[in-house]
Amino acid sequence: MRHLTDVARRELRGLFVSPVAYAVLALFSVLAGLFFVVSTVAFSDWIFRLQQFQAFDQLSQINLNDQLIAQFYHSMAVVLLFLVPGITMGLLAAEKVQGTEELLLTSPLTIWDVVLGKFLGGALFVSLLVAIVGVYPGLLFLYGDPELGKTLSGLLGVLLVGWTYVAIGVFASSFTRSQVIAFLLTFVLLLVLLILPAIAELGVAGSGSASDLFRYVSTDTHLEELVKGLVDTKDLVYFAVMIGGFLVLTKASVESVRWR
Amino acid sequence: MIEARGLSKRYGDVVAVDDVSFSVAKDEVVGFLGPNGAGKTTTMRMLTGFLPPTDGTASVAGHDIFDAPLAARRCVGYLPESPPLYPEMTVSSYLDFVARIKDVPRRRRREGVERALERCGLTSVRTRVIGTLSKGFRQRVGLAQAIVHEPPVLILDEPTVGLDPLQVREIRGLIAELVAPEQGEAQHAVILSTHILPEVEAICRRVILIHEGRKAVDAPLGELTARGATLEEIFARETTRDAALQQASP
Repeated sequence: MRHLTDVARRELRGLFVSPVAYAVLALFSVLAGLFFVVSTVAFSDWIFRLQQFQAFDQLSQINLNDQLIAQFYHSMAVVLLFLVPGITMGLLAAEKVQGTEELLLTSPLTIWDVVLGKFLGGALFVSLLVAIVGVYPGLLFLYGDPELGKTLSGLLGVLLVGWTYVAIGVFASSFTRSQVIAFLLTFVLLLVLLILPAIAELGVAGSGSASDLFRYVSTDTHLEELVKGLVDTKDLVYFAVMIGGFLVLTKASVESVRWR
Repeated sequence: MIEARGLSKRYGDVVAVDDVSFSVAKDEVVGFLGPNGAGKTTTMRMLTGFLPPTDGTASVAGHDIFDAPLAARRCVGYLPESPPLYPEMTVSSYLDFVARIKDVPRRRRREGVERALERCGLTSVRTRVIGTLSKGFRQRVGLAQAIVHEPPVLILDEPTVGLDPLQVREIRGLIAELVAPEQGEAQHAVILSTHILPEVEAICRRVILIHEGRKAVDAPLGELTARGATLEEIFARETTRDAALQQASP
């Protein structure tokens, strides 16, 4: 797999010479800023009200991490859900349209080189977006006193959620020549993943074990733990399995094109 | 250099290529002829490792496409029917990328790119973005991509299709120069697929005619035309014979 980095590098370069990368970065910065301001205003508003009602018990328990940063991280995971499909839709679909798939698959590359290279390219770009997310809680350290550990573990959670989205996006992109279909397929898959806990809540899934499964499969459940500052192996394993699983499926999908 | 043994490709019940065997020697230039849909592209895709054959096998520069696929692919330069270009890249960064994935060692990469640029007449547009180039120049980049790693085997699939007459002449001249340079020795065994007969007559010394997935003719060009028939007559005879037979038998 020596060519993994060649493929990833080309992908990143491709993003940055086209307007896509800049559009996504700009839109994302705007959205992140907006959500941060809204979360901050809501937070100070709440403190103001608690003071008015002289609820000193609650005031003593309030902290930046649980009330402000956690909200912000969850919102950002939802924003990523809208933007990541836009980044990943072309990863493999465009290769088919341009005919460059034929170049890659007739070069001395393994299919893993292609699949992992594409994933790495997308994942690095998403890491850049998550770095932007990290700037805002960073500002809070200037004016307040959030917990560093919790802030970082939450950010790690957002990063892992972003990478999972990319793995699912690469998978969707491997099926079709159409970037629009790749986008929609990714978007729907991600949305379903997000709302699974809500479905479990409704009791549609029936008995306990099924709704437990629904909750387990959702990215949000595991993000929640990391945002709380609990870095547990079982959540990390979840992300590793999701990413690895979708990449294995992608490899099978790319391979099947040749054997049809 | 190229050795195809009983190559077949079936898609369900449809037979695209049926038991095709041939070999191409070092520095031989073979014209791959046939009407559209005869199985030329499928055969080439099997040789390049893009499609696995249903039956039979092939070897390229001594490497079996099943047993040593990476080594075999390293020895092939391939220009598909539509050149596989990334429109947002510049010409030289694209060629550098291709050199990387074709396993050109780092110290020879720059030199390989320079040589390919020069041989294909691309030095003046090296910093241009591929998407802004004319079709003729894009075809040159496609050719440069195929030779950047100096492969012993070149496979070109209809390299002049869709170009204007002037560009056709340019590209044809370029290919002629690549396969039989005025200075130095020929370095590539070449398969050139086309259905344009003058192209074959201008460049190739041997002709393989594929018709309905089977090999119909495999002979040196001189031998074919020595009997007084033009290539066009042979082409017409071979590709219509089946139809004629079918009509004759009620």
